[in-house]
Amino acid sequence: MSKLLTVRDLVVEVPARNVTIIGGISFSLEAGQTLGLVGESGCGKSMTCYAIANMLPRGIARTGGSIEFACDLLKSGKAADPTIAMIFQDPTSSLNPVHTIGYYLESALYRHQGLKGNDARLEAMRLLERVGIDRAESRLRAYPHQFSGGMNQRVMIAHALAAKPQLLIADEPTTALDVTMQAQILHLLEELKAETGMALIIVSHDLGVIARLADRAAVMYCGKIIETAPVAELLLRPAHPYARALITCMPSIDPADLEPPVPIPGSVPLLDSLPGGCHFHPRCSRASGECAAHFPAPAMIGPVHEVSCFHPVAA
Amino acid sequence: MNTPLFLARDLTRAYRHKAGFFARPTSQLAADSISFEFMARERIGVVGESGSGKSTLGRLLLGLTPPTRGDVWFEGVNHRDRSAQDWTTFRKCTSLVQQNPLSALNPQMTIGEQVAEGILVHRVAGRTEAYERTAAMLERVGLSGAMMNRFPHQMSGGQRQRVVIARALILDPKLVVFDEAVSALDVSVQAQVVALLRSLWQQLDLAYVFITHDLRIVRHLVDRIVVMYFGRIVETGDIRAVYEHPRHPYTRALLASVPTMDSSIRSIEPPIKGELDAGKVSQGCAFRSRCPFAIDRCAVETPLLRAFDRQQAACHRADEFVGPIKSQATAPQQKKIAR
Repeated sequence: MSKLLTVRDLVVEVPARNVTIIGGISFSLEAGQTLGLVGESGCGKSMTCYAIANMLPRGIARTGGSIEFACDLLKSGKAADPTIAMIFQDPTSSLNPVHTIGYYLESALYRHQGLKGNDARLEAMRLLERVGIDRAESRLRAYPHQFSGGMNQRVMIAHALAAKPQLLIADEPTTALDVTMQAQILHLLEELKAETGMALIIVSHDLGVIARLADRAAVMYCGKIIETAPVAELLLRPAHPYARALITCMPSIDPADLEPPVPIPGSVPLLDSLPGGCHFHPRCSRASGECAAHFPAPAMIGPVHEVSCFHPVAA
Repeated sequence: MNTPLFLARDLTRAYRHKAGFFARPTSQLAADSISFEFMARERIGVVGESGSGKSTLGRLLLGLTPPTRGDVWFEGVNHRDRSAQDWTTFRKCTSLVQQNPLSALNPQMTIGEQVAEGILVHRVAGRTEAYERTAAMLERVGLSGAMMNRFPHQMSGGQRQRVVIARALILDPKLVVFDEAVSALDVSVQAQVVALLRSLWQQLDLAYVFITHDLRIVRHLVDRIVVMYFGRIVETGDIRAVYEHPRHPYTRALLASVPTMDSSIRSIEPPIKGELDAGKVSQGCAFRSRCPFAIDRCAVETPLLRAFDRQQAACHRADEFVGPIKSQATAPQQKKIAR
């Protein structure tokens, strides 16, 4: 099957301060597939997404590697490709408070599909209804502050759909929402993916969200992908000590499982003072001298299971 | 019998709300006839969606918001009867930890100054002793005493939350209200704070109320849980009993909404649609518009808390919900709800 997105040795840096945010990551995504990116804050999940969507903030630049999207090389400085759409963690602050929902959706429809006037309004209503907002006609005249966080996230999704994307990047789409709304948004994303056949990159620090949506998951730590595997495989047989630790620190909801979550010792190092070798070695119980000296090269331990560790946990 | 640490009776708080400049103000109940009590050293969790009145309940207990109706007693003294002097004593033995540690800390004061401030304000000890106690408290929450001269921006999110916890505990309070204290943290840091709270509770003479929307975390921190919907307690009881056999459809929906680590669960319908909608509901059960099990009676009669084995639930059909949420067969038959 053809690759929709291929990322090779992506490096993202803050040139002014000589800090590396992403230290060479590679992955690919097929059409219609869902990739989950997991990791703690500051591990470079969001920056990876921004790099793919070509919307890195000012002062942060892609300094190495290539991103191929639908075989067209995205050239830095060029406008973002219209067929990648992105939704963010905090929907209410991503929406412009002085514009109505209708203005927001209709302008996107004009930009991406050339729809104007009544056509745009009808399509905007259809999109709102599709994402589960009823009374769409009157809601088009509403402002973001009149909506709850969950409704605004639905509006963001409708806005993303206006571009008819082949790839939707969802950066922590449910982190700011209640569990009940989270379940609804996850279900909506599942449905939309099945309907439109778009690929999805879902970023979350909640492995439960990844387990629900992703086909494949990549675990990131300090700007590197340290393990990538089909999601069921990763959850059942994590090989990297960090991936394992992330799973055991998730609190369980199962009434039979009374074990409290096991914390990972230490904290995530700052990007300007990363430990040498494998960045996880100071917090790792399996670390040896080798780990401090070199970063382990990714090795295949299964057909599609890749891990960067000198001492992977045996299955 | 001992006097309960806290006793709340018929606690109600209304907020006035105007839909527009010329609209008539309406009043909304953020807390509606809440009665409960708890003892010293008890650990209580309060869960519900945003807008369910969790935070209001915490603020009412601490006397930060006066109730519209009803009373709160702390160690047998009603909040309404407290003198200014009395409030100072009360403040000394209670504290509040809020969600965002960065906004809870003063950016211009060092960590040490902020943690020690309580001791100095209440004149519990002199500067030298305050310094020593602050250093000891910082050690206790897993920070080094050397961090005392740092400013909040020089610390990570997890460290800041530890500072806020140290500040809340410095006066040996009898009660701490944690309002979404771990929600803004990463899972790994959350696990650290959970471990910290569990061990601190072992060491200290402390009761706490843990307010959160995270049903996974709260389970490992409390003995008793209160589930709120629209300002009312819909279910309460022993944490294990409630998680094993939730009796209220809202509790069941909340538990079923939590994403599990099982990747084979896909494309399942969300357990409840919509969200907590303030504004309507004058009669009957507030949850009925979203409840898949609603019957005619729910529109007429407001369900009251009824006692079951180790829990209480406010639902007319509570006896029909037996067993854990996974066994669909035990749930009563769903009815199409008339809007």
